[in-house]
Amino acid sequence: MHEFKYAYPAYFYLIALAALLYFFYNLRKLWAASAGKPDPAAKPGPWQFFINALTFGIFQKRVFSRRFSYPALMHLLLAWGFFILFFATTVDFFVARGWFAAFLPRLDTPWFASLNDAAGLMLIAGLLLALFRRIFTRPEKLPNDFFTGRGNFLGDSGIILFLLILALGGFFAEAARLAVYQPPTAEYSWIGYPLSTLFSVAAWQRLELVLWWFHALSALLFIALLPLTKMFHVLAALVNVAFTNRRLRGRLRPMFVSRLMEDPEADLENISLGVSHSREFRWKQLLDAIACTECARCTTVCPANATDKPLSPMKIMTDIRQHLYAGELGTGEQKDLVGATITETELWSCTTCGACMAECPVLNEHVPAIVDMRRYLVLSEGKPPEQASESLEKTLSTGNPWGFPKKDRLKWATDAGFDVPVFSEKKKADVLYWVGCAGAYDPLNQQVAVSMVRIFEAAGVDYAVLGTEESCTGDSARRLGEEYLFETLALQNIETLNRYDFKTIVTPCPHCFNTLKNEYPAFEGNYEVVHHSEFISQLIAAGKLSPDKSLEGKVTYHDACYLGRHNQIYAAPREVLGNLLTTGGEVTELSRHHANSFCCGAGGGNMWHDIEAGSRMNVNRIEEVIQSGADTLATACSFCLIMLDDAVKIKGQEESLKVRDIAQVVAEGLPVSKG
Amino acid sequence: MKSCVLIKQVPDGDSPVVIADDQVSLKGEGITWTTNETDGYALEEALLLKEAHGGEVVVCTIGKDSALQVVKDALAKGADRGIFITDPKFDNLDSFGKAAIFAQVLKDENFDLIFSGLQSDNSSNAQTGLILAEFLGTSHATMVIGTEWIDESRIKVNRELEAGWFRWTELDFPASLTIQSGINKPRYASLRGIMLMKKKPIATVTAEDLAMDEIPALSHIKKLYVPRKTKETVFISGSPEEIVTQLTDKLENEIKVL
Repeated sequence: MHEFKYAYPAYFYLIALAALLYFFYNLRKLWAASAGKPDPAAKPGPWQFFINALTFGIFQKRVFSRRFSYPALMHLLLAWGFFILFFATTVDFFVARGWFAAFLPRLDTPWFASLNDAAGLMLIAGLLLALFRRIFTRPEKLPNDFFTGRGNFLGDSGIILFLLILALGGFFAEAARLAVYQPPTAEYSWIGYPLSTLFSVAAWQRLELVLWWFHALSALLFIALLPLTKMFHVLAALVNVAFTNRRLRGRLRPMFVSRLMEDPEADLENISLGVSHSREFRWKQLLDAIACTECARCTTVCPANATDKPLSPMKIMTDIRQHLYAGELGTGEQKDLVGATITETELWSCTTCGACMAECPVLNEHVPAIVDMRRYLVLSEGKPPEQASESLEKTLSTGNPWGFPKKDRLKWATDAGFDVPVFSEKKKADVLYWVGCAGAYDPLNQQVAVSMVRIFEAAGVDYAVLGTEESCTGDSARRLGEEYLFETLALQNIETLNRYDFKTIVTPCPHCFNTLKNEYPAFEGNYEVVHHSEFISQLIAAGKLSPDKSLEGKVTYHDACYLGRHNQIYAAPREVLGNLLTTGGEVTELSRHHANSFCCGAGGGNMWHDIEAGSRMNVNRIEEVIQSGADTLATACSFCLIMLDDAVKIKGQEESLKVRDIAQVVAEGLPVSKG
Repeated sequence: MKSCVLIKQVPDGDSPVVIADDQVSLKGEGITWTTNETDGYALEEALLLKEAHGGEVVVCTIGKDSALQVVKDALAKGADRGIFITDPKFDNLDSFGKAAIFAQVLKDENFDLIFSGLQSDNSSNAQTGLILAEFLGTSHATMVIGTEWIDESRIKVNRELEAGWFRWTELDFPASLTIQSGINKPRYASLRGIMLMKKKPIATVTAEDLAMDEIPALSHIKKLYVPRKTKETVFISGSPEEIVTQLTDKLENEIKVL
């Protein structure tokens, strides 16, 4: 065993202590999250906490994304190179002092020596890939401030250079050590040893102390500065993923406005509704912002950003962080969060499609943060987007965002010649068919509604509808920040639903589906809710429905955000389509499919207003469909159907490309009963 | 500046119209009540002027119990206090009678400006704001589609005339303005506004408080009826000469426009 006696004067320990103290002092950045409000959702059990930390923190499951394979490889090399070296250095530190020596591996064992060098090489390879990306590839959305930027000490690339110097210095210090002390396992250090043979032993002897100190000091400097640089994410992301409640991730937190309204103690003058200041976020939302590594995956996949609207989910995160640090740590001027820092147009550009959250490696929740700030705009300021405010008022007065008369809610059925059973007369049925406002009033979706009736009748399903008692679920209102209207609608619908006896709610609208299934339980509305794609797929599988195969040519499917990303229903609609293919017909995937699907532009209440900036999302999507050469585009969402059908017309492709809901395609293969 | 906004509760346009047995009023069932559309613009204009130049906005309505809601909605949007005039004796009044009551209630308030919608969506008389101006002896302007603040005693208003013509007029305070739709974009009621509304005062005024022995009326509704749809399309066919002969005959003898 080599000896380092002369290399450990007291001031090494002093410097190390100072570095650690500075490191711990700057962990207050993490603690800044405690300025937020309590977050009942962010209480994972110890088991989930541990599994989260391991899966998403140590093993970084989310870093490995097919859309980001280069940075995934880069990060793999960097992270694991770093981990192993960190482990090796810590072990070495103890072993060199003889502390816990009996329990620790020794650096001069062959496997440890070779692993160590491999790790160093991984780190350097990862760093070079990172530098290459920053300097040459320069992905458009990736922030690229070499030495400064958004409060990160050493910027986006300076820190990579720093680490490169650290890693290279490590190899030289190792080579010197191997040359000077010639440990028996020297040859197993397969990079350090060849390096040590480049110069004479005498030369290494002169350099050894300098190299050792250089490496030691740069390592300590790195530790000291880590919380101030982008590398802070190694800690912040670990803590953030550990505290993530994955079951509720991405869901909007209920405000329980009605309770607030009835609370005689509530301080109405000073009450804050929604979020206009970093302190009004939940602490876990602040931790999200702190953990953001600025990898720009969210912004790269954001459909609003891709169509040149002024939204970058990453900027939302870094803006919240900057506001938080400015207020809590005094790192700069604290401008208004909503308005000055994040503009209203940025907030209204979001379709809540969830692409950002699906890609985020550190499990951030961008959409709820955006909706919280929209809540402030609407509930505190009374400022929804101008066009949307009409829809909100109409939803309140007529129960549907279009503002059609409530009494006409079942007109689609009578117009089609169907005598659809209603719960007010029937009281009890197996299936409650939730038609949705689109199905009730929109001409395209009325065809879906009729198709559903034909499917129910062909399969002998005992069903009924609520008719004029059905009302908008409040999906759009809620995402537009109008939590009061959402709650009003939710409570009213729950009261209606609870009056009747049914087993399952079936709905063709993923927005209704998501709200009924995932959002009504918070208001004591607990139902079994099934999307029509799943229901039809089950009917076919059970042999209760055998539609003729009617799908010809090239068929493709558009994944709706609220069916796919928000509810992980990908297979059912594809199974239905697969069952309907004629020989020669084929179902192909679009280039952006499943969790990578591209939003039609109508989610998040954006159905009801237009953002003037940029191009249209539905056109962007339909161009992809046209390019795929498909004859039929199948959807399973009321809004997607409207948006994509519109886009086909904008592109003048009505003759060559048909947009249809899967229910329409199924009903086409059914014998015509009536209507 | 002290403003008053007169607001009326009217049946929503989609509500079923069922005439009551008395033949002069509507059956209440199934009706969704809402704020008269142009009154919403009147309120917004008063609020905008208050926000720019200070003062107070008071909303006032005459109506049945349900009409309290339009006062609350206005308070939620930012009006400061409400006056709710209600009494069974005040049902089915004409514009003159309403204006007389408003005059009695508002005369001591000394408002600089009284805003009202151009006309109500249900009776469309377009009279109340004007008659009130006469009762209170104030200046007035109808069909106001724009306002411009001059000073604490005068206002400039843009009136919509016929055939796409407009005219700017200066009025001395006090003045009564009836507001045309499209003058502004009425705001969305925030939840914060709705919560604050609960603390705002609403004074209720009944017939007893008014010392009015008799409510004057100049017009009476004799009978309400739903207009019969008499759309009929007649196709005229034949040679051009025959068509012209038949058409001129119809225009001359049936429709009597020639």
